[in-house]
Amino acid sequence: MRSTAIITDFLANLRMWYRSKGTVFWSIAFPILLMLIFGAIYQGQSDLTISLYVQDLDGSEISAQFISSLGEQLKIEDIPADVDGDEYISENNIRAALIIPEDFGEAIYRVQQGSNESISLSLSLDPTRESINGIIRGVVGGTLHGWNNEITGSRDVLIYQEKSIAAEEFKFIDFFMPAVVGITVMTSTTYGTIFRNTKYRKWGILRKLSTTPFTRWEYLISKMLFMTFVSFVSTFLIILVGVLVWDISVTIDVYLFVIVVSAAFAFSGMGMIISRFVKEEETADSAAGAITFPQMFLAGTFFPLEVMPSYLRSFARVLPLYYVNEGLRDAMIYQDSSGALFNTAVIFSIAAVFFVIGALVTKWTE
Amino acid sequence: MKKKDVIKVEGLIKRYNGITALDGISFKVKEGEIFSMVGPNGAGKTTTVEICEGIKKPTSGTIQLFGEEFSTRSKGTREKIGVLPQEFRSFERLTVRETLKYYSSLYKRKRDIDEIISLMDLEDKKNELYMNLSGGLKQRVGVGMALVNDPELVFLDEPTTGLDPRARRGVWNAIKSLKEEGKTIFLTTHYMEEAEYLADRVAIVHKGRIVGQGSLSELISDHGGHYSVVLRGFDISNIEILGEEASVDSEQNVSIPVHDPKGISNILSKFMQEGVKFESMEVKRANLEEVFMTLTGTSIEEEEAAA
Repeated sequence: MRSTAIITDFLANLRMWYRSKGTVFWSIAFPILLMLIFGAIYQGQSDLTISLYVQDLDGSEISAQFISSLGEQLKIEDIPADVDGDEYISENNIRAALIIPEDFGEAIYRVQQGSNESISLSLSLDPTRESINGIIRGVVGGTLHGWNNEITGSRDVLIYQEKSIAAEEFKFIDFFMPAVVGITVMTSTTYGTIFRNTKYRKWGILRKLSTTPFTRWEYLISKMLFMTFVSFVSTFLIILVGVLVWDISVTIDVYLFVIVVSAAFAFSGMGMIISRFVKEEETADSAAGAITFPQMFLAGTFFPLEVMPSYLRSFARVLPLYYVNEGLRDAMIYQDSSGALFNTAVIFSIAAVFFVIGALVTKWTE
Repeated sequence: MKKKDVIKVEGLIKRYNGITALDGISFKVKEGEIFSMVGPNGAGKTTTVEICEGIKKPTSGTIQLFGEEFSTRSKGTREKIGVLPQEFRSFERLTVRETLKYYSSLYKRKRDIDEIISLMDLEDKKNELYMNLSGGLKQRVGVGMALVNDPELVFLDEPTTGLDPRARRGVWNAIKSLKEEGKTIFLTTHYMEEAEYLADRVAIVHKGRIVGQGSLSELISDHGGHYSVVLRGFDISNIEILGEEASVDSEQNVSIPVHDPKGISNILSKFMQEGVKFESMEVKRANLEEVFMTLTGTSIEEEEAAA
């Protein structure tokens, strides 16, 4: 075996590796990016501010103390005692709520006097937010356990009955499926635009087109029609799999249509802006990854924003994908028309701004 | 009948960030001719051709295509021109026929696609994906793409760069066939032999200026190029019988300059009369490379090596 040949080959591979910016991105920058993103998400877990709505029907000093105990770990929001709790939860789109029964304080007193009864609290949770529900269950269960120990020393006097806020058929996949539509539209349009513009510029296709009667706007419109078509094909297939394989109940309405079109325009516009600065085909991959991956992980695609530290939650709200995901969930799954309208309006505005800027900076002549 | 000026450029200047790429270029391209701009890489050929095509804007100077000013160039002008950009690559996953059809769809004026395929000698490859073609075939498709609108004026920017001699010859034949059809062709190249083989008139560009232009014979006669008779195996001790202008090179070959090509037969007669003996003889034709050296004081290879 010739060690010099092996060393030469090794060094040649090393040289080719570091000269390929895309390979360096995927093998070094991307894992570092992942570490930074997930590190930031999980390192900040102690900083979580998860909200729990509480309706105190008892209104006693004891119930106030109990709420105060929960407040050490959760952000407590009040539900007025004089309203119907379930209706209030439904009308205000609340996703986690605890109802303390009327004779909570009295019942605890009776147990301390020897009564054998149990006191049941009602914990309502949105099943599409399982990662958050786990934290809320832990806090509520832990607090009840501590109180039970103080009241009887052993027996579970205080217990909670859990119920689903949304319809029974909602599952995590219902939460996830709209986000799959969102990230698919984002990646296909962003990567497609950056790759196409960079390649076409490098290969002289844009220069060639500029010498024909085909105008820049005609070119951009045809590309957008294609991107929108691809986005709809992807959306259709994702919904089809969701319905046939996972039995998801999906609402298809005008919001879905407008959000997908707006998302295609917004991310293509973003791609056009980025590709203005990308000179080489090899760099296109890294540039597209740099703008899609942070959004993929920070815009509430795989888990709700509530599991993230507050500064990342604020950051998520400037990401276009966040509004696409939220709008699609509101439109397709929750049938929350006010939420869908708001998110559609936001993504439509973002699309208008990005597309116009993108179109203006996409030049094929000097 | 006097031929029309299809392109008329006067005092063309182009500056990028303070660097002067074109420094007062003027030329005319006449209807039906192949006009070639020759020079090393970086001389300003592509900048000139791209300004004429409307891709780049001039800093100053006037450019007319078909009598229309650059600043007011209409869609109608674009209908009349065909372009093959430098280092062009087309859509990888379209076939040759689909590629030509795509570009044809962008114009109102159209030429039959099968006719173009036949003209470019691409019948066997018309259903091949562009990505699977050799470099020479890709360039022929590129030339074909420049013909889809049956243009009056065709711009070919370095159409044979990077091709092997056989592929280059294939592209040359395609260009020749355009000339036979009466198309006006603006060709840029850094291959002197390409311009010699194809062009009716040549402009030599050096450092952003045209240092000489005219037909090949005009350039050679005006700028010091000449024919020469080279004798190998001649006894150089008798060199005086060949006249004062005869010289000996490093390989002991004797070179006799001939200012008029008709004089070659006189020299041969003289050799026979005087019994001049040698092993072999070669008549070297003056060429553009010599003209370029005379005009610039350097060879095109040296220029490109220094660039």
